Amino acid sequence: MLDAAHALFEDVGYEAATIRSIAKRAGVSVGSVFSSFTSKAHVLSEVMQERLSDLYADLASAAPHLKGSTADRCRSLFAVHYAFEYRRLRLFLAYVSAAFDWAAGEGGRAFGANPHLRGMVRDCLESGVANGDVRPDVDIDLVVDMLIGAYAWNYRLATVADATPAQLIDLFDRQVDVIFQGLRPVQQRQGLPRAG
Amino acid sequence: MNQMAIAPLKAVAPVTRPNQRALAKQRTREKILTAATLLFSEHGYDGATIRDIAKAAGMSTGAVFASFADKSDLFGEIVAAESKALEQEMLAALDSHGRGCAILAMLDAAAVRHMADLALFQATMSALWTPGLGAQVRRRLLQRSATRLIAEALKSLPGVESSDTDDKNVIAEMIWDGYVGVLRRAALESLTLDQVRGRLAREVGVIVAGSRRN
Repeated sequence: MLDAAHALFEDVGYEAATIRSIAKRAGVSVGSVFSSFTSKAHVLSEVMQERLSDLYADLASAAPHLKGSTADRCRSLFAVHYAFEYRRLRLFLAYVSAAFDWAAGEGGRAFGANPHLRGMVRDCLESGVANGDVRPDVDIDLVVDMLIGAYAWNYRLATVADATPAQLIDLFDRQVDVIFQGLRPVQQRQGLPRAG
Repeated sequence: MNQMAIAPLKAVAPVTRPNQRALAKQRTREKILTAATLLFSEHGYDGATIRDIAKAAGMSTGAVFASFADKSDLFGEIVAAESKALEQEMLAALDSHGRGCAILAMLDAAAVRHMADLALFQATMSALWTPGLGAQVRRRLLQRSATRLIAEALKSLPGVESSDTDDKNVIAEMIWDGYVGVLRRAALESLTLDQVRGRLAREVGVIVAGSRRN
């Protein structure tokens, strides 16, 4: 069913795809789609998870070896996402749209709640605390929200201004600068010169 | 103050008083807007149809199309009015915030307004990302007077005031995007207004600290 849904979303777009057409393509009844998923948004969130699973398998093995400051490693994680999601921009936008949709139902995992992405950003911040790049009293959950939020919001520039992935990455780099500058341990912010 | 407000009104009133037909037209528009606001809040942008909106307003779909070009035009009108009202409340908060942080005072006013009707806020945010939405309406939705007000407030924030305009715009966008993220969490996890305030203060704290150039 997920393969059928994925192919259909690619062909006709998320809005035009119906549960009925997903069922038809998968060769199952509408009822059996509904016995596995609570809504179309739920199907989409599962498709997006599956699409990303290969990417995350690669990233998970690469993440511990990323070089540079905590901010640099964080930038690398998101740059990979920009490059990957931009290839299927419309589908990704539908996913973000569904993230604000209360009708997505219990089963749907809205964008921003992706445990892989959250986990990797969280690990990155925790290692930043451990090596003194990030101040120890940081509210990690809040900062993860800020970073993922900034990452996703930047896509609006792709919808109205046709921004390229490189432009999105540039903007995100500036935002990461501000956030990590704001997270520096107090003595670093006052005394030592800024790195880079 | 009152005198000043009333005097020019008296002077122009006879000229701009609308005739009966224009008044009726205006009432129809308002009826449609009220019904549509409710339906968009309940069912989202995609879920609310012109047919439903017409029915709720007690008129034909033809009458709705006589007032609005299409659904996105109608939705754009609601969002524009909402954004205008939001701007007014943020400005009022800016005028009366006293010694506290001007930016937080404005965000607080915005949060009070949005928390009172989170469903409409969600519908707007969700619609913004709907690929089917026309580019023109999307641009209208993205004209955020809030970020302009925040960028303006950054001009008098110690340590940030000297950064260039482009940097200030990026910072203002970050603050507002962070605000939207907090409201989204509030909608999905039923946060209280106080929890929202706490998160906003911490987010703005990080961004402002990170924006200071010493």
